[in-house]
Amino acid sequence: MSNTFNLKRFGLLFKKTLLEKPMQMFGFTGLIFLFILIVYYIIKTFVNFQVAQNVSFLWGLVGGDFILASFVFNYFSSTAGGSSYLTLPVSNLEKWLCAVLIAAILYPLIFMIFYRVMDAGFVAAYHNSLDPNGPFYKIRYDSVYLFSFTGRLPRIVYPMFLIFSGLMLIGSLYFNKVALVKTALAVCILFFGLYGLNYLFAEFMFSNIDDAFPFQHVAILVGKEVGSVELPKNVHDPVWYFINYGLPVILWGVSFIRLREKEF
Amino acid sequence: MIEIQNLSFGYKKRNLLYKNLNLKLEVGSIYGLLGKNGAGKSTLLKNFIGLLFPTSGNIAVNGFIPKKRWPAFLETIYFIPEEVYVPALTIDGYKNLFAPFYPKFNDEQFYSYLDQLDVKDKGKLNSLSFGQQKKFIIAFALACNTRVLLLDEPTNGLDIPSKIKFRKLIASVFTDDKLIFISTHQIRDLDNLIDRVIIVDNGELLLNASVGDIAERLCFKTVSELERPDEILYSEESLKGFSVVTKNINAEDSKVNLEHLFNAITEKPVIAKAIFKN
Repeated sequence: MSNTFNLKRFGLLFKKTLLEKPMQMFGFTGLIFLFILIVYYIIKTFVNFQVAQNVSFLWGLVGGDFILASFVFNYFSSTAGGSSYLTLPVSNLEKWLCAVLIAAILYPLIFMIFYRVMDAGFVAAYHNSLDPNGPFYKIRYDSVYLFSFTGRLPRIVYPMFLIFSGLMLIGSLYFNKVALVKTALAVCILFFGLYGLNYLFAEFMFSNIDDAFPFQHVAILVGKEVGSVELPKNVHDPVWYFINYGLPVILWGVSFIRLREKEF
Repeated sequence: MIEIQNLSFGYKKRNLLYKNLNLKLEVGSIYGLLGKNGAGKSTLLKNFIGLLFPTSGNIAVNGFIPKKRWPAFLETIYFIPEEVYVPALTIDGYKNLFAPFYPKFNDEQFYSYLDQLDVKDKGKLNSLSFGQQKKFIIAFALACNTRVLLLDEPTNGLDIPSKIKFRKLIASVFTDDKLIFISTHQIRDLDNLIDRVIIVDNGELLLNASVGDIAERLCFKTVSELERPDEILYSEESLKGFSVVTKNINAEDSKVNLEHLFNAITEKPVIAKAIFKN
């Protein structure tokens, strides 16, 4: 048998991972979906459908996967659990691929099926609630439609989901105990650190800063108007490609290296 | 077989726990690793299994480098840590999920060992007492039939009858193609079980000898008065006088007392090393 990858062994590991802690895996997935359902319902009731769709998709995919990814390597909270996991006769690659399969393929797939069913249900209920003979029926009907998985927001959310789940996988291999909380804190510190640093740089270079977002834009107040300074295309494109493709690959790659080098 | 060459290890690079340790452990023996708390017993075991990586030097276990944690290597070795991990599964559930990773796992042996250790099927494993969980893992590990079995403080948490059953079971399953390595500070639990003794202290290997060799070179006896104190490695006042460990100059037959041996070796390491040289 290969010491790098063996399909039978990988299948056994995958089965073990899912069935060893079924409540954690399936229970939390169910809770996340319930939470998203409630969030969608509340926002569409009190704000509007589009915001409900955007918020629930963002939190369901990015937030949900961030939490789920913390369970994939959740063995290191005890010496016994960590020892048992690392000494199981399975290669590091198989362990990592199992995490990839759960956090990067299965969860998003199941979430998107759930999301489509949920969204279709709410949209259909809304459409059915309209009076076809009432005024503005057509306008009201057309104002609410199914969320597109290929729209502008999802194209921002997909790399975000890969980046956040990659960060979580690394975090759960660095922080042995309460990895979810510690990683979330580390991500917040990293984000606000970058944001603050970027703002300071922007302040240093421009006056009357309104807003500055790292690697994207600097908004400047000109009189009562706000102007945006954006990256030139020749800089923007490499940065965009790096954030969308390079960074997720690096983060997931680092999680593999960290797993391989993990001492416990 | 476990072969260690010039092993150095430390949790901090400037503060090494082991320096240039050399050790060769052969199959066909049950080794007892004795040491004080914090002496580095668990650390050594973790280096054997690949949970910790040497700072320098080499370790080879069954011809593999533990650091790589290859499946082919991990199939040949089982490590039972001091605290065991059991998920919320039944005995059969655990066996069905974990046993397929070990090609030599034997179902019949597994249930027989559970029976011998008096582990009853009472629902989920995580609801069992610590001692029962430990006995369950011991039974599972033995049924895996790995060439090397590493046990870290295996009798911690076991009651007196269980300790006896544990010793009997280990002795009954041991075969010449296996290497069992037991680390403990509860020395009496290894009485009549181990055939080789390894003592480490302050990151140094003080003794690696067979029980027969120890009995040949040292004498364990009780004397009414302490004569020639310079020849005594260790003495302890007892009801009948003094229990002493001395160099076995007159080739006397005596039973090795592991506790006294440990005290003798750790208190007079230089003399002990001289006695066991060659």
